[in-house]
Amino acid sequence: MSAGSSRVALFSRGQVFLLGGLALVPLLDFVLPSVQLSAQMRTVIVFAILGLGLNIVVGWTGLLNLGIGAFMAIGAYAFGIATCEIYPFQIGFWPGILLAGAVGALAGFLLGAPTLRLRGDYLAIVTLGFGEIVQDALKNLEPITKGTQGINPLPTPWLPLPELFGTVSNETPVRWFYLYLAILAVVVYLARNLEFSRLGRQLFAVREDELAARCMAIEPDKAKLKAFAMGAALAAMAGAMFASLLSSTGEPANYDFQVSILALCIVIVGGIGSITGVLVGAIVMVGLSNVVLPNLTQALQRNGIGSTGSVFSSPDNYKYLIFGLALVLMMRYRPDGIIHSRKAVRK
Amino acid sequence: MLTRRLLTVLALTSLFAPAATFAQSVSAKPVEAGSKSGAASKSGDVIKIVSSLPRTGSANAQTTSMVNGIKMAITEVGGAIGAQKIVYEDWDDASPQRGNWDPAVEAQNADKAVGDAAVMAYIGTYNSGAAKISMPKLNAAGIVMVSPANTAPSLTKEGFGEANEPAVYRPAGKINYFRVVPTDDVQGAVAADYAKELGAKKVFVLNDREVYGKGVAGVFEKRAKENGLEIVGVEGIDPKASNYKSLVTKMKQAGADLVYFGGTTQTNAGQLAKDISSGGLRAKLIVPDGCYEKAFIEAAGNRALEGRCFITFGGVEPKALTGKGKDFYENYKKTYGGEPEGYAVYGYEAAKVVIAAMQRLYEAGKPITRASVLEEVGRTKDFTGALGTWSFDANGDTTNRTMSVNTVKSGEFVSVKVVN
Amino acid sequence: MTDTEVFLQQVIYGLSNGMIIALVALGYTMVYGIVELINFAHGDVFTLGGFLALTIVGGLGAAAVLDMNTLGETSNWMLLFGLVVGAGLFCGGLNVAIDKVVYKPLRRAPKLTQLVAAIGVSFILVNIALFWGGVPMDALGGGNAAAAPKDFPEILEGTNLLGEESNVVLRLEDVAIFAITVPLMIGLTLFVKKTRLGRGMRATAQNPIAAKLMGIDTDRVISATFLIGGFLGGAASVMWSVYNNTISFQMGFRAGMDAFTAAVLGGIGSMPGAMLGGILIGLIRAMSDQYIETQWTNVVVFGVLILILVFRPSGLLGLKQREKV
Repeated sequence: MSAGSSRVALFSRGQVFLLGGLALVPLLDFVLPSVQLSAQMRTVIVFAILGLGLNIVVGWTGLLNLGIGAFMAIGAYAFGIATCEIYPFQIGFWPGILLAGAVGALAGFLLGAPTLRLRGDYLAIVTLGFGEIVQDALKNLEPITKGTQGINPLPTPWLPLPELFGTVSNETPVRWFYLYLAILAVVVYLARNLEFSRLGRQLFAVREDELAARCMAIEPDKAKLKAFAMGAALAAMAGAMFASLLSSTGEPANYDFQVSILALCIVIVGGIGSITGVLVGAIVMVGLSNVVLPNLTQALQRNGIGSTGSVFSSPDNYKYLIFGLALVLMMRYRPDGIIHSRKAVRK
Repeated sequence: MLTRRLLTVLALTSLFAPAATFAQSVSAKPVEAGSKSGAASKSGDVIKIVSSLPRTGSANAQTTSMVNGIKMAITEVGGAIGAQKIVYEDWDDASPQRGNWDPAVEAQNADKAVGDAAVMAYIGTYNSGAAKISMPKLNAAGIVMVSPANTAPSLTKEGFGEANEPAVYRPAGKINYFRVVPTDDVQGAVAADYAKELGAKKVFVLNDREVYGKGVAGVFEKRAKENGLEIVGVEGIDPKASNYKSLVTKMKQAGADLVYFGGTTQTNAGQLAKDISSGGLRAKLIVPDGCYEKAFIEAAGNRALEGRCFITFGGVEPKALTGKGKDFYENYKKTYGGEPEGYAVYGYEAAKVVIAAMQRLYEAGKPITRASVLEEVGRTKDFTGALGTWSFDANGDTTNRTMSVNTVKSGEFVSVKVVN
Repeated sequence: MTDTEVFLQQVIYGLSNGMIIALVALGYTMVYGIVELINFAHGDVFTLGGFLALTIVGGLGAAAVLDMNTLGETSNWMLLFGLVVGAGLFCGGLNVAIDKVVYKPLRRAPKLTQLVAAIGVSFILVNIALFWGGVPMDALGGGNAAAAPKDFPEILEGTNLLGEESNVVLRLEDVAIFAITVPLMIGLTLFVKKTRLGRGMRATAQNPIAAKLMGIDTDRVISATFLIGGFLGGAASVMWSVYNNTISFQMGFRAGMDAFTAAVLGGIGSMPGAMLGGILIGLIRAMSDQYIETQWTNVVVFGVLILILVFRPSGLLGLKQREKV
């Protein structure tokens, strides 16, 4: 990935490899129909987009955001209200996704404008607090958001493509998977363009040294605000895609602090500042908690190791431990993340 | 540099898919072994029953008890229908980073069930919110779903939720969702009637802002008003708060002589009971069946509950079960060496009603398919199980409306009233 | 109850809850001051302190503790004191061990790497607490329902000190919180101000490299900080358990979040700030529960936080940091 060649290429080689690898996942469904890996990988794609959004804020601009889940929630609920049949709008999937992104950007702007001048950890707590506020507000504003009931049903993505694999309908997980993968590819492309754009370089400059950036005629506050709003927009789109996947907004608690933490882990475990890293991070983190661990515990169960009442004998009860150990070990042995961005900070 | 990085990527991505699939291939062994005994080696020779319940986190005690009940029901028929082996899988719909049911995992479970042709029945969910996610998916695929624990009325009945409920959960137009527990519109009303019996005048209604808690509290509030009780306050609590002492003060000021809390042990009912007691609020407390578990008594402590707290529950306490229910109770104690939780019998009954339908099909010489099982479960009528004799009504709800009001004496649930 | 009585009562509850939060917040703020790490695992160290306390109480026999006649009031205070010291030392030791094993090798790694490692530790500790709840012991509910909240016996007599007829309730627990937290805070302040190690801590907080050059053993200072922070967390967990009479494996989450908020509200790195922040959060919660609505309390707390930070970007008592040139 030398700087010269990557500037012309659509994707870096690592990204091509990852996206291409993901595109092959449905083939595994033929080998192992009972795992339905492509269905499960859709969640990974959603979290990869969330991670890419957070990466703009945390990775490139150096602002610690602990409330990205809030923007995901805003996106999901905006999408829900704009598309669900119980509301009068019903604008459909694609306009809904775009609207969610716009609403997310607006929310990011509104939160960011007064608070972005705060130093690192003060900003972190503001975003964390914002996450809690959004959650409770969504829960309490029942006439608008249906509280914890969830807004359903929500539209599935649809494209007038010729039917793949014969009679496979539009709603089959495989097709859905490919549509989401296509969205991911577009987002990766856009993020990559941002990385090499003028604004991208401004962001790096702000992250490295605000004062020096100011001397170079960059306005740090404006650059930060743009980054924050873009991150929020991507997170909101991820939220909309997540809601579409569930055909329901679920409840506000589905987008709580734990989601923000998961997103942060994706970015940092994958390799902060690197688009390829975020993709790897999403595969590793979401794959670990949502794909590997459930399948592993089920396999153990089938071989007679299942819950028998005692907390120690049930594999489910070791999930926190495995998840935590994985985080600690990865940080211990690859402190810069799995993919180390050459642009990442080393402070 | 480049190759090393690519190799890392390669290694990591290739690590995960196989890890998941390896798990599957290991597990496939017993399935194959079972199919060898049959005539053909199709997946149709194995009947898969899966359950999707939150197994990670705070609801674990209840769900373990339910899973035990399901396992008992399967063991009782020798783990097979005719020559077809029943394979049971206990799926978790919670994830470690949530510590509670996770919508993405619940959706995955439903997708997995749909994609696995051997899955004939889906037992779950525990949380009504989770059911909303898997119901339409399973409905479209025509898989029968029996819930041992969902009580939100809007899942099956019109007029309780949004205008598009419950049709939205039935995209195929047919009912595939059944439940063996009475719904909250029954339960909330029983609680409100009992509140009147207790002589309450001023009632403070609390809920945990969850689908279940808010629903049942709403029904209670409506019925309490009809019963002529004065509602002096309605509030949603924060289930993660460390205590409710300030809220208790507010209720004291409102002069409440009875508190209704729509919520569960997991949403901090125990702490609320304690703070009512220590805050000097002289009021009775009524809570719904989400608190009918030993964990509630352990959490709240006997001293905060005795003589103060009443718990409504759909059905009677396990040791008061009669007929087949008594057999279940004795059997459970023998097999698992402890008292069953209140919901264990529902796990058992949910599995039992599915297995009974399969057995009827087998006896009639009909093939066991998703469609036939679905139809046969829907036909369940005058079923004599551990919960007595009952049927599924037109909505898929049980006709069993037996509710009991219980209290706590020396650390045990004691039934004070049974309403039919 | 009259309006004045209600207000008085809420002040009592707000202060009691706030003092506990303040104690936890001190652990955050001290560690942050020295190594600039948001120690996410602090809340879960706190949880384990509660579990240790319950295990000790259970080991002594919960019944004996409850029976005031056999033990008498003095010995209950002794027990409380013993628990505070025991859980404090345990949590302090645990904190130091976590630092040695996990954080120390990452000291030079990017800040966010340390943060994620701390998150990982937090998950591990949650799992340990879950397992601890499954230990077959009477006090822990026989270990049948590991994940369920556990009842913590009333160690102090639960009568109303203002008389049973009084509408305002002030119990021994409320008094105990002050009796334990205030001396701890005064002691801590004196320690940091007067002792050699305390000076070392202040110096390291200001400039670790310069401190090292001046011959301060910064590793020792860091260990001491983790020890003291953990000790305060352990003491807080005992007070929390005695006050709320419930512990659960997830209790550290809310306590940790409140405390972290308090630390930032007061100005992270500032010890008086953490105390002030904790008390303020306790009071805001109580007042919002009473005068607004319980369901909006979180919104109010974090809304106030954001507003304060917009106008005072370094928190209430935080030092105004000049941008590094």
